[in-house]
Amino acid sequence: MAHKKVIDPITGAETTGHVWDDNLQEFNNPLPRWWLWAFYGTVVFAIAYWVMYPSWPTGLVERGFFPGTKTITYKADSGEEITTHWNMRALLAKEMQTDKLELKRKEMVQTVAASSFDEIAKDPEKSQFVLAYGKGIFGDYCAACHQAGAQGVIGHYPNLIDDAWLWGGDASDIETTIRKGRKGNMPAHGSSLSAAEIDQVASYVLSLSGEKVNAGAAKAGKQVFNTKGCSGCHTPAATGMKALGSANLTDKIWTQANVPAAKDTAAKLAAVKTVIHDGIQREMPAWESRLSDDEIKVLVAYIKLLAQ
Amino acid sequence: MAHSAAAPMEQYNYDIVKKFALMTLFWGIAGMAAGTYIASELAWPFLNFDIAQITFGRLRPLHTSGVIFGFGGNALFATSFYVVQRTCQTRLWGGKLAEFIFWGWNGALVIAGLGYLMGVTQGREYAEPEWYVDLLILVVWVAYFLVYVMTLLRRSQPHIYVANWFYLAFILATALLHVFNNLAVPVSLFGIKSYSLFSGAQDAMTQWWYGHNAVGFFLTAAFLGMMYYFVPKQAGRPVYSYRLSIVHFWALSFMYMWVGTHHLHWTAIPDWTSSLAAAFSILLLMPSWGGMINGIMTLSGAWDKLRSDPIMMFLITSLSFYGMSTFEGPMMSLKSVNALSHYTDWTVGHVHSGALGWVAMVSFGSLYHMIPKLWNKKIYSEKLIYIHFFFATIGILLYITALWVSGIGQGLMLRAFDQYGNLKYSFIETVVFMHGPLVARAIAGMFFVAGILLMTYNIWKTITAGQEATAPETAPATA
Repeated sequence: MAHKKVIDPITGAETTGHVWDDNLQEFNNPLPRWWLWAFYGTVVFAIAYWVMYPSWPTGLVERGFFPGTKTITYKADSGEEITTHWNMRALLAKEMQTDKLELKRKEMVQTVAASSFDEIAKDPEKSQFVLAYGKGIFGDYCAACHQAGAQGVIGHYPNLIDDAWLWGGDASDIETTIRKGRKGNMPAHGSSLSAAEIDQVASYVLSLSGEKVNAGAAKAGKQVFNTKGCSGCHTPAATGMKALGSANLTDKIWTQANVPAAKDTAAKLAAVKTVIHDGIQREMPAWESRLSDDEIKVLVAYIKLLAQ
Repeated sequence: MAHSAAAPMEQYNYDIVKKFALMTLFWGIAGMAAGTYIASELAWPFLNFDIAQITFGRLRPLHTSGVIFGFGGNALFATSFYVVQRTCQTRLWGGKLAEFIFWGWNGALVIAGLGYLMGVTQGREYAEPEWYVDLLILVVWVAYFLVYVMTLLRRSQPHIYVANWFYLAFILATALLHVFNNLAVPVSLFGIKSYSLFSGAQDAMTQWWYGHNAVGFFLTAAFLGMMYYFVPKQAGRPVYSYRLSIVHFWALSFMYMWVGTHHLHWTAIPDWTSSLAAAFSILLLMPSWGGMINGIMTLSGAWDKLRSDPIMMFLITSLSFYGMSTFEGPMMSLKSVNALSHYTDWTVGHVHSGALGWVAMVSFGSLYHMIPKLWNKKIYSEKLIYIHFFFATIGILLYITALWVSGIGQGLMLRAFDQYGNLKYSFIETVVFMHGPLVARAIAGMFFVAGILLMTYNIWKTITAGQEATAPETAPATA
């Protein structure tokens, strides 16, 4: 049977004559020509690829016998020009040294690094560069807390674009904040103040920003504020202290108690009371070891520009 | 014809095939539902509900193991045992050993899956089970090899049918991959944690040698074996070319072993390994396509079945997706393309055009062919097969299109520069961009899950309430 010619009646093509499971058969068709030639084509491609790039571990690459024809020339740190077989590290070095956009970026970074913040703010090209470069740094490292628009989250992360600064808004203050990080602590007063006193201080704090509260409670609250430890950090005028990062309580800006979202006076009071009762523990990490000097400079300028 | 005599049902061990076939549907539903859930988590993160056990990281290995080893594995056990018996015309060797394989394999999957939810994992992609499960799998696999080879040796046919070559290559290669990739030392005798024998770049290269050949032999060669039986059977036509099947079988088996390192382009591996893998990936294109040509051309003389037979639609569509993804793969393994595609959803989309389009579709078609024969019943509803086919196809097309947009879009955004050479987008902006496509992808998954639920209903009704088929075993050969 193996040598008998078996012909399929529908196509007239020859089968191998083997039959399995009632009706499983195979044609004896040749390899499709186009398939075969396409396969040869990939063989040619592979050989060309192996000639261009170092592909086989001959042990000769280091000695220069078969480095592949696609070589890369770049400058070493010493300034010496090096030509080597194709490899990722040389490719990166070369592109960082010759790519037009990369050279432009480096030049702009140097220009910005050498400029004062006033100069950056006044020069449209420099500020445009800072806004573009800073957006990426801010998006990658800062936006997770301070949000993509730098508006922060009340109760957690400060707003950076309202021009109110807990730790100071000068370029040098912002730089210190980024480099060293900050720890913002307010002690909990739940045990040192009575419920009535907390209620009174909260009324006083709200009255400072022009909220309508019980005048008697606010008056009593001022007394508590000045005698039971609040004014020590927030100052008797309640305007806060940069050195401690204590908040100015006389403006309408709230970073912890979500007064703006409260529906009525009772809710506002409750929000402020919670902060007084529980205190605050928050920390911004230090970035000094994670960002380069240039990146920090650009970031400070970026935040300054945003806040403007 | 030499062996066209009607075979009594008891001639073959169909009981074990039935068990594996039903388990295929169970794992299909579980694995695909888990996949759809984690896809939904990516689109709507609140679905994490802050429960560690159902977060993406824990559920993802449950999804991949569930569909690859649960759905795919059981489908391969079922079809390979069906095919080897029918093409050798002999009963499965080993008696109860096949039962052990069934319980051992599925037990291993359950132990591994529960472990994933509790955070127990080796952290090796597609090889997450810890050492004790690996040992159980090894024993099961040796039993599988024995049963398969002994059945082949006892065949009453002079030749070994091509489907069996592919199944055997899969069994051998998987044993090799499983053993070497999982070489690890447990921290203590009764401790669940183990450490790999490999470290650093060697560890990564071993892992992707395993990972890509799991795709190559588990998800490609084995399913080609399935294709080589069920496509000509369903079409009632001879395989297009015996010679092509030989050439592409050996070329595929040889080439696949080299290409795993293309998963590690642009990382801290020696450059020559990367270049070598890329070139072999290109060489792999035509050997892969050999199977597609042989499958699709088998329809010559029966092209009308593409309109009239929904099972044929499943099988041929699966071959089309197979051809597409085996073209896309070599392209993505070129270093310049990979620089864009790597670490993006494009890779995920590519895998799913193979996993859903090829592996799942060819399995669906084969099960629809095989299950009525196993129970000697007529299929409950041919119309439901049509509907399943369209649900599955819409799901796949939506899935891969969404992830092309998401992946290529993110890749382009991550490499975009402004006029000063700054990166134009921060990472979070690319995530915001991906939200739309990720929603579409989750919906695509829902289509696919809906499809397999329909199938399960159809199969269930076929088994429990279907009409008895009239003597299917004596259907005359078309020749």
